[in-house]
Amino acid sequence: MLWATRAGCHVDRTACVWLIRCFVDREPVFYFFADPLEAPEDAELFDVAGARLSHRGEDCSFETFLKEYSLTDPVLAEIAEMVHDADLMDEKYGRPESEGLDAIIRGMQLALPDDETLIRHTDVIFDGLYTYLSREVL
Amino acid sequence: MDVGKTRWLILIYQLPREPSRHRVAVWRKLKTLGALYLQDGAAVLPEDAVTREQLEWLQLKVRESGGDATLWESLPNTVAEDRELIEAFRVSCEEVFRKVIEEAERLRRRAALGSDGASLLDELGKIEREFRAGRRRDYFRSPLRDEAASILRETRLVLRGDGDAAGSADADGVAG
Repeated sequence: MLWATRAGCHVDRTACVWLIRCFVDREPVFYFFADPLEAPEDAELFDVAGARLSHRGEDCSFETFLKEYSLTDPVLAEIAEMVHDADLMDEKYGRPESEGLDAIIRGMQLALPDDETLIRHTDVIFDGLYTYLSREVL
Repeated sequence: MDVGKTRWLILIYQLPREPSRHRVAVWRKLKTLGALYLQDGAAVLPEDAVTREQLEWLQLKVRESGGDATLWESLPNTVAEDRELIEAFRVSCEEVFRKVIEEAERLRRRAALGSDGASLLDELGKIEREFRAGRRRDYFRSPLRDEAASILRETRLVLRGDGDAAGSADADGVAG
């Protein structure tokens, strides 16, 4: 399935990419556009103003994904809190990890040439976070 | 061409007077981001992927709250105007860093007078959080930032009771 979002991904979009790949669509294709008009017509948009899978009320897009796809894994709920705090900077959940996550992904975004490269790296970060938190949940 | 000028994002918005909570929410978010107002309803931030994204969401929020908002990318007409704006951003951050420095120094004085180190460390944690929030919106590296950072570092060492043992604090850090 084709998924499209804005280029210049930060925490929320990189986390959504990882979530899609691991829990929603095993063979996703991602497209990053500079302007919404460039989005392919058959693509499912996410983290884009007005899309089904986007910010909603107080939720960031990652949280909207969890609700839309009824993903109730408690580890994902924890990651959602970190992503929320890093993305919206409102300290809603007071997750200290969010500051580190924010700094690392901001830095990667500056250091890496494009979003395709970025998501290959951030996928590994979220894999690690998921594995670590799963171990704590057991 | 555009040599030496910063690329800025300007959010121009208008919100109904009532209910006032929407105006307060937008103002608070802009403050968190460290934006400055060029004038009423026109807030500016230096352009990067993060500020762009945050302002895009804010634009949406204004529209959903019944207001109007447009988001612009722009270059000041002259280098002088650019520098003036950068300076205004630096000054806006200094207040936070100055407060951080004062509060850290106060903690050190209290430690010297024999206050309980553990409770002072809790208070230091709060000051450190203020510093990090300030640093996030310090887009042009205010001169006071480094001073605040080093005073916080020293204060932490003093409160942990190893004032001149920076080396042992580093060794603790290696354990993980």
